[in-house]
Amino acid sequence: MTTPIDIAWLQRSFPELSGFRQLGQGGQKFVLAAKHRRDGDVVLKIVYPKTDPESVRREILAVQQIQSSRVPRILEHGIADTNLGACVWLREEKVSGDTLRNMLARGPLPPESILRLGLQMMEALDGAEHAQIVHRDVKPDNIMRDTAGDFWLLDFGIARHLDLSSLTATSLPFGKMTLGYAPPEQCRNFKREIDSRADLFALGVTMHECATGKNAFLDPPPRDHLELLKRVEQVVLPPVALPITEADSFQDLIATMTQKNRIHRPRTIGHARRWLREICEREGLV
Amino acid sequence: MELYLQFGYGMMEHCRTLLRSWGGGSVILSPRDLTDDQLLRFGSDILKIPGGDVILDPQFYLPHSDHEKLCNHAYWPSAYSTTLFWQGQALSRLLESLRDLNSRIGCSRFVLPGLFASVVDDDWAETQRSVLEEARAGSDNASLISTIAISAEAARDENQIADLIERTEAWKVPAYYVVCEHPNGQYLVDDPNWIANVLDLCAGLRLAGSQVILGYCTHQMLAANVAGVNAIASGSWMNVRSFPPEKFNATYEDEIRQRATWYYCPQALSEYKIPFLDIAHRLGILQLMAPPPELDGGYATALFSGAQPSTVGFGEQGAFRHYLHALHEQVRLSNTESFDSAVADYEARLTTAETLLARLQAANIRGQLRDFAEIVDVNRAGLGLFSALRGAVLRRQWDTL
Repeated sequence: MTTPIDIAWLQRSFPELSGFRQLGQGGQKFVLAAKHRRDGDVVLKIVYPKTDPESVRREILAVQQIQSSRVPRILEHGIADTNLGACVWLREEKVSGDTLRNMLARGPLPPESILRLGLQMMEALDGAEHAQIVHRDVKPDNIMRDTAGDFWLLDFGIARHLDLSSLTATSLPFGKMTLGYAPPEQCRNFKREIDSRADLFALGVTMHECATGKNAFLDPPPRDHLELLKRVEQVVLPPVALPITEADSFQDLIATMTQKNRIHRPRTIGHARRWLREICEREGLV
Repeated sequence: MELYLQFGYGMMEHCRTLLRSWGGGSVILSPRDLTDDQLLRFGSDILKIPGGDVILDPQFYLPHSDHEKLCNHAYWPSAYSTTLFWQGQALSRLLESLRDLNSRIGCSRFVLPGLFASVVDDDWAETQRSVLEEARAGSDNASLISTIAISAEAARDENQIADLIERTEAWKVPAYYVVCEHPNGQYLVDDPNWIANVLDLCAGLRLAGSQVILGYCTHQMLAANVAGVNAIASGSWMNVRSFPPEKFNATYEDEIRQRATWYYCPQALSEYKIPFLDIAHRLGILQLMAPPPELDGGYATALFSGAQPSTVGFGEQGAFRHYLHALHEQVRLSNTESFDSAVADYEARLTTAETLLARLQAANIRGQLRDFAEIVDVNRAGLGLFSALRGAVLRRQWDTL
């Protein structure tokens, strides 16, 4: 294993963990899988020292406040001196399965999976909404399906706490987001307009992608980020015809979630969740 | 949806007659056209009609108006020495005076003063909020109707409409009296964005749980039924079928001086000057323009008696009563079972009008500036955009509006 973190240090610092295996490495953190003596399979995240400590603190706070069964729990966290310097570390519940991104590489999802995904993500986002938190980065890369077929929402790294001051400079032309999933108001960094309806937009785009197998904003590939931004602001996602009895209602829901202006989306995650739940009930899925 | 009568010049007897024939209805009183004494007497008359109701539009759109009749009302402030008017005792006194007038007239609902918004911005919204807060201190919240009066520019701007809808969510008012200026002083609005945005505003208010009365309407706003609007209001002259804010100033040149008699052909959604009916008569197609029985109040019967229309003495009185009765019935018969049926019903109305208008235009029978031929597509486009924005949610929540 080639890691920026000294493996001997890892074993010394986390004696209750064994079987370290690298999962990923981003600009902000280094992620490993390991086995905990008591908790079993876990994820260990080591945040690089250059990362803003307040954003890490807020990520931890978000997961703790949301307390959703569809969000992996943070089991423990702390600060340790590493060969890179002082790093915040987080030990999380591990979800064994595949990311939605990998699943989509194999094609669209069956209708039952899309409905389940929608319901479970709305459950997670409903928890976030109640805690005044906006995830701001709902996308296939941040959703996992476990081996039982249940979906999990990951990575609250850029979550916005609506009751705390913003960490994003108001003067920035673009907000923190992933283009192609974030709604226009988030792309444009209209901070006063960012609330849970931003997550509904991103989830709507994700569910649409699950049904069609492609993100209509990203396909064909845009020339650059400015063209992509224009698409997000101007292109209406084509209707989806899911082969279910409630196809029209499902299409209505996706069309509403992905409206360009948040006033035309469902008023809350709870409203959207009830809507989807009714569709699932009529389909005999819940 | 209901039709309210928007009071204007010469409306007293029309209101009495029509409300009696309808078995009730609501009148929006106009202080611009009635003195305090007239408001009390006329309000009392209407309330004596079984099912009759009145609300008072304080017409506080332009507080610095110099309109003599408005300024003579006891509630109208004589001076605005400081901007504190909107935050202090002066506002309290205005509302107290209006509350008293409403009470003496017998109004069960209290229409609050609302400034005309050239632009929907923080300053305007703050004034709205102040008025509402002050009103709540002295009135039962359930009786309050907040006035939203906006310029044509604001109504055409989707961002201002969105901003307005967002702001109203915090106000939590049980009902709104919405008046939107027409662009370019048009009688029939030829901008589909204006139509879509006004419908969007109304739907946004309805979905937030408020009732909506859309004031100063022509029959073009029969479309408001698809937004779940509770009532549209219309009246006799053009200046109560559209909202020219300048009419609340003394310098307003009233178009009533240019009197003409118009016949409303409800199935064509168009109005015609009587000489054009003469032409239709001579071409043998006049009966196409006769009101269908379900919309006919008998006020225009003489026009279709076989004589030349311009010789039968069809005048202003008959024209106004016919217009308002036909519109009342069109409103009453609008389908409200579901969003989709409301849309289908309105589209069918447009298609019927389009077909008849083509036939009439082929014979050069035209309603000039009141002809709906160019407006059919405007309303279709507005309705199409509105359906794309709001259809899914309205389809789902229609029964809960």
